[in-house]
Amino acid sequence: MSFKIVEDLTSDVMFQVESKTLKGLFEDSAKALSSIICKTNKVKPKKSKNIEIKAKNLEELMFRWLQKLIATVDIEEMFFSKFEIKEISEKNLKAKIYGEEIQPELGETVVKAVTNYKFKVWKEKDKYKANITLDI
Amino acid sequence: MKEFLKQINEFEYVLPKESRKGMNVDARIIGNKTIIKDLEDEAVHQLSNVAMLPGIIEPAWAMPDMHFGYGLPMGAVAAFREKDGIISSGMTGFDINCGINLIKTNLTFNELKPRLNELNQLLFKNIPCGVGSKGKLKLTDKQLNEVLVSGVNWAVENGYGTKDDIKNTEENGCMEGADPSKVSETAKKRGKPQLGTLGAGNHFLELQKVSNIFDEKTAKKFGIDNTNQVTIMLHCGSRGLGHEIASDYLKIHEKAAEKYKITLPDKQLACAPINSKEGQDYFAAMKAAVNYSFTNRLIMTHWIRETFETIFKKSWEELEMKTVYGIAHNICKKENYKGKEIYIHRKGATRSMPDKPVLIAGSMGTASYILKGTEKAEKTFYSSCHGAGRAMSRHQAIRSFKGNEIKRILESQGKSVCSTSPVVLAEEAPEAYKDIEEVIGSVHGAGISTKVVKVVPVGIIKG
Repeated sequence: MSFKIVEDLTSDVMFQVESKTLKGLFEDSAKALSSIICKTNKVKPKKSKNIEIKAKNLEELMFRWLQKLIATVDIEEMFFSKFEIKEISEKNLKAKIYGEEIQPELGETVVKAVTNYKFKVWKEKDKYKANITLDI
Repeated sequence: MKEFLKQINEFEYVLPKESRKGMNVDARIIGNKTIIKDLEDEAVHQLSNVAMLPGIIEPAWAMPDMHFGYGLPMGAVAAFREKDGIISSGMTGFDINCGINLIKTNLTFNELKPRLNELNQLLFKNIPCGVGSKGKLKLTDKQLNEVLVSGVNWAVENGYGTKDDIKNTEENGCMEGADPSKVSETAKKRGKPQLGTLGAGNHFLELQKVSNIFDEKTAKKFGIDNTNQVTIMLHCGSRGLGHEIASDYLKIHEKAAEKYKITLPDKQLACAPINSKEGQDYFAAMKAAVNYSFTNRLIMTHWIRETFETIFKKSWEELEMKTVYGIAHNICKKENYKGKEIYIHRKGATRSMPDKPVLIAGSMGTASYILKGTEKAEKTFYSSCHGAGRAMSRHQAIRSFKGNEIKRILESQGKSVCSTSPVVLAEEAPEAYKDIEEVIGSVHGAGISTKVVKVVPVGIIKG
């Protein structure tokens, strides 16, 4: 897993992710997001949900992927800890996410949304990179 | 940008429109020397961005609790002409109608003290809180739509609260013109299980005692007549429903800004002309979130009253647990100002109408205030500050403080503390916020709202 939390914002949290593959970039971004919402090391992968996202480009795909995960926590009333990208291109992805029913003691903080602040997904040499800010 | 700020008087500074190319109007900041000295330069820059938007009415305001936010600083007020102005999902923010309800009681702290821990723990059990907190209500789709349209009227019709609560809520707890058809299915799905939940982060429920009364006549009018009187403060918003509406319309407004050729100094200030489909659709959806949030707070007020009844074996009416006021501090409203209809965005800012309560939440261990609105607030479009304002990022606070240690310190001061995890206590450590006294001193000194009552926390519940 490769992400780091950047801490220069008073009301948001920013993290940076990098991976050699798109699959890795999207899985690690989901893990980073989820680690801000809950104690992922204690959330068991008891149930799974299938997710499919379509977008116009890679940045929109990442934005929608993370936004979908935030909404799924509220709608399914679940925390998630394991993310498997089954298929991915720059415009769509199919994934299976695993977790369990929410237990309040496993919660960390409410993530309201992914924001546009310094939001960026790009390829640099042989690595995919993403800069993501969340409103919390 | 701070170097361009010019002091007007002890509590007011101006950023002249000449400071930066593209500013349509001046920006002004309410704050004393300490507040201005500690301001983040980036927050001032964000305020100058707001001053660039079309149709803005002079000036763009920032309150002393201002800090760097999403697109614009928290603690900002921006008003727009109906004819050529904009409405912005970015400027209203993700937590639509985040706000405060204040409930009074006739109990004194001495009467509360022997039952404080028991009461606080029962409140913690009865008020769903924490990340993804599960509500106790099982709403149908039809009922959710009724909440979105009718706001607190739905709550009262269903046995949560009274007509008196409606009267003592901004907008009578219901903005007219909310349209559930403008709210996405995802937003509704997120909101449905969460009505009647506190959430987490900076949201809280506090048992408080009155520590100072500055304006006896007004305090009495608000239902506060002695020091040591117990009050209850509830701070929360529109939960996942509001977050999703904001996210949905940010995308729509980004496209609208392109379509209507609005130059955005920052993409996060995504907006649409007031008189456009994209603008009015957002306004109708935002009102639905506003109504949801007013209802959310009243439903929890009902459960708070029930909890007091259980502990004190008296009805809530006997305990005189009336709503002092319920107020929003993240909202866009069409208001009549000097005879004209204008659209006012208050982001981390509170309405300050003459003689009406203005409720200000301090940080966890310190104090909160009940102020009253004034005629002088006309210059700030009848607005004041909303809280202490963060001085440190949440992540930095988590790294700097230990939740268990903060709990121990608060408990050693006689306070009762309940939270779903110690982390949230670290995140909201008092030291992570500005000094509430400097903030209140500034709005009081500027005269845009004046001190009535100071309350201090004795029981703290964090999600």
